[in-house]
Amino acid sequence: MTGVDIHALSGAYALDALDDIERAAFGRHLAACEPCAQEVAELQATTARLADATELAPPARLRANVLAEIAVTRQVGPAKTRSGANVNRWRRFTAGAVAAGVLAIGAGATTYVVQEQRVREAQRIEAVIGAPDAIVERVPVNGGVLSVWTSSSRDARVVTLNGLSAPDSDHAYQLWLITGQRATSAGVLDAGRGSGVRLVSGLTGDESLGVTVERAGGVDQPSTDPLATVPLK
Amino acid sequence: MNEVGSAPPLRAAPAETPPDADALLRAVARGDERAFAALYDLVSPRVYGLVKRVLRDPAQAEEVAQEVLVEVWRTAPRFDPARGSATAWVFTIAHRRAVDRVRAEQAGADRVRKVAARSAETPYDEVVDAATTRLEQQQVRRCLKTLTELQREALTLAYYGGYTYREVADLLGAGLPTVKTRMRDGLIRMRDCLGVSVG
Repeated sequence: MTGVDIHALSGAYALDALDDIERAAFGRHLAACEPCAQEVAELQATTARLADATELAPPARLRANVLAEIAVTRQVGPAKTRSGANVNRWRRFTAGAVAAGVLAIGAGATTYVVQEQRVREAQRIEAVIGAPDAIVERVPVNGGVLSVWTSSSRDARVVTLNGLSAPDSDHAYQLWLITGQRATSAGVLDAGRGSGVRLVSGLTGDESLGVTVERAGGVDQPSTDPLATVPLK
Repeated sequence: MNEVGSAPPLRAAPAETPPDADALLRAVARGDERAFAALYDLVSPRVYGLVKRVLRDPAQAEEVAQEVLVEVWRTAPRFDPARGSATAWVFTIAHRRAVDRVRAEQAGADRVRKVAARSAETPYDEVVDAATTRLEQQQVRRCLKTLTELQREALTLAYYGGYTYREVADLLGAGLPTVKTRMRDGLIRMRDCLGVSVG
């Protein structure tokens, strides 16, 4: 994603109209871009004004319920000043949020994988996306977005397909690592699904990552040219 | 922010002066429950109204509104006035919580289908109907009217409908880059029309 692209998301961010992965990516951008943070603060103050038009008397019992609950709720400590430690905590938070989003995408798509494996894979996905050196590239494809997160320090990539039009139940999206005319499978999504996430371990030095639609379960070699490719860094 | 020193003249203001959310939130941050009750009275109709607008179900709205207001109490010490006003902070929390609830409950595709089915209903009209005589509401209504149709629809579907920009693009039959851009343009125009500034 280019700087121009991500900057244009400030409005959608202020409206809470990004999905979790985009939100985390934009949050990461904000932390490094003071003018963007200023713009977002202003746009959030603007969206908050839209609440003015929604005024509606709550049920009377809400007041008593809230006051009773706060009487037994401990307040958090004040925020620390912006420091390295804070940034790291923020990074962990974002990575967690992304992993939650990734899990949400994956939910229902992973039928045969045992829970423990899922948790371990989710932790590795989280580690790649949350790595300080992670970079993300995106392309639109079939009404959705193909995103590739690459982290050299973690020696892995995370590929997400988000909101592509779903193939029929006999077909699936398959990912390919491509160099010249050579393609190596990098994972198959579940049949009939337009969203999913795959961890690709090891930075292989391939030129690009592509996606095709193949028969369910995947094939050895792509049967068509890729629908879209992302150059790999 | 710092109230140490000479007595703030605002304290001597007549009783009918509406309480200031920023001052109340600073007191809440120090654990002042009475200030919280006053803040509750000031913001709860908008918190509840906003959450209900997004969720539509009154029982869920009440539950989420309670979560939001308790969250305001709990995290008040972390409020950073350099990032905006107290009310903006409260309504940002409220909107985020409402949207989280919506997305946790329904897959996007289902929601888009449901909304497409009831698309005759336009959120903007609801806003206009709901706006009564309050000055702030009149101002919001007037400023919404300065937007282009697409800007206004993109903003109201996202904010009052709780939709992602992808869902908004589906609903409006517009491209993702267009919707993204309209959301930003529209908010910038609203910001300038409302005279919002931060910092």
